[in-house]
Amino acid sequence: MKKLISLSVNGKEYELAAASNKTLTQALRDDLGLLGTKEGCGVGDCGACTVIMDGKPVNSCLILAVQAVGSEITTIEGIAGTGGLHPIQKAFVDLGAIQCGFCTPGMILSAKGLLDSKPEPTEREIREALSGNLCRCTGYQKIVEAVQEAAKTMKKEQRRDYHEGV
Amino acid sequence: MLLLPKFDYEEPKSLQEALRIFSELKGKAKVIAGGTDLIVNMKKGIVAPACVVSLRRIGPLSVVDTKKTVIEIGSHVTVSELASSGFLAAALPVLAKAAATLGSPLIRNRATIGGNIVTARPAADLPPALMVLGAKVELKSKGKKRTVPLDGFFTGPGSTVMDDDEVLTKIVTPGIPPFTGTDYVKLMHRATLEIAIVAVASRITLDGPAGPIKDARIVLNAVAPKAVHAVSAERFLLGERPSEELFTEAARRAMDDASPIDDIRGGAAYRREMVGILTKRALSKALDEVRGRETRGAR
Ligand SMILES: Cc1cc2nc3c(=O)[nH]c(=O)nc-3n(C[C@H](O)[C@H](O)[C@H](O)COP(=O)(O)OP(=O)(O)OC[C@H]3O[C@@H](n4cnc5c(N)ncnc54)[C@H](O)[C@@H]3O)c2cc1C
Ligand code: FES
Ligand code: FES
Repeated sequence: MKKLISLSVNGKEYELAAASNKTLTQALRDDLGLLGTKEGCGVGDCGACTVIMDGKPVNSCLILAVQAVGSEITTIEGIAGTGGLHPIQKAFVDLGAIQCGFCTPGMILSAKGLLDSKPEPTEREIREALSGNLCRCTGYQKIVEAVQEAAKTMKKEQRRDYHEGV
Repeated sequence: MLLLPKFDYEEPKSLQEALRIFSELKGKAKVIAGGTDLIVNMKKGIVAPACVVSLRRIGPLSVVDTKKTVIEIGSHVTVSELASSGFLAAALPVLAKAAATLGSPLIRNRATIGGNIVTARPAADLPPALMVLGAKVELKSKGKKRTVPLDGFFTGPGSTVMDDDEVLTKIVTPGIPPFTGTDYVKLMHRATLEIAIVAVASRITLDGPAGPIKDARIVLNAVAPKAVHAVSAERFLLGERPSEELFTEAARRAMDDASPIDDIRGGAAYRREMVGILTKRALSKALDEVRGRETRGAR
């Protein structure tokens, strides 16, 4: 049986009719048309489906859409500001951390989850935070470097915001 | 793409309401906590409950509480909370350590302690840590409540003493007594997203700062149908003074206490060998922890 549910995604409220067996990945892709979230394995192993739920990166393939009601969801579509790409996105582009791109939304959201709670992570902490996200292309090194670069940029921006009183 | 079968979904706001649903639906309803086991098993067609009941709105199940002599952990507390809570890292380091090895950061943000226990996988990471702590679980059904020591909770791979209409509400564990150290070592092919090939949880309590071993607990994981105590190794250590030779002999006995099988993650002979190595490491680490605690305390 379908139920009318409302999901809060990237700061917007969406209403949709969802059967209880619809996963959050399916709801985001099929109902909301947010195709940035990918489905790889469907069973928690690859992280392609990563979204941020109430501040924490999670596998949306293992969450029912009905379980996400009342939570704040952020997908890759939601992190760029009005001024363009998010610093993590920009660093991924600049440093060649993207090849086919299938893992990229998940990688970036896991990295965001980390940097939001720990702005100056060690390399080890970065590797650990990204360890639930698999990449078949890059060999990870450039991804780690991109997250380090993004951490620096975000720190500089924060300092500038502080001085300009934003 | 793996699709889920059809089912009804309920989200009761109180435990009473949840227990009523389970009593009415008998074996047809299943709890969904983090869903990291249940959804995978449903996608693979291993289980197909008619009704899935989420406990997420039942606030008290997500609470960690310290009572006089015990620590109570609600069944819905997440594995990432166990791994990152400063309080638990200090009070129950072995549990925090085991939690940090489970799945990936993404899985840990959803997976719950209750789910890890009820699912009863022979390689589940939290039960061995909880067993060396001497934890018990509280089970509730409509109008009934019982408390079961974790040592007697598992009956085989995927099976426990729980009835269909029971919900695991909390885990109750005594705090760690003085002169006690613990450890959890997990052998994996890679550091994340790996079920243990073998894992060992240890705990030793000394009779005073330099005293003999007063209490010894060793729980072996992934080398029997369920987590098991290395009974002969534990018995051997009692009353003895800790030493390298003593731990070597205890580790040898632990190898005989294991009954591993060959599977994709490792052969039986290799696993048995690793039980010896990991047991010795886990005992030495536990002893270091006793000594570390003492010097910290003395300062
Ligand atoms: C990619 C991946 C990696 C994993 N790696 C590990 C690992 O390294 N180590 C490990 O131990 N596990 C691992 N797991 C398994 C799983 O994540 C854990 O067992 C987790 O703790 C299960 O908790 P959950 O809350 O997600 O359980 P759920 O999936 O919600 O539930 C599991 C079972 O327990 C029942 N249940 C849950 N809570 C209750 C309750 N309170 N009362 C009664 N019944 C209940 C459910 O009905 C279901 O049958 C992994 C899983 C995945 C997908
Ligand atoms: S699609 Fe969700 S983890 Fe692979
Ligand atoms: S860029 Fe192709 S999977 Fe990572």
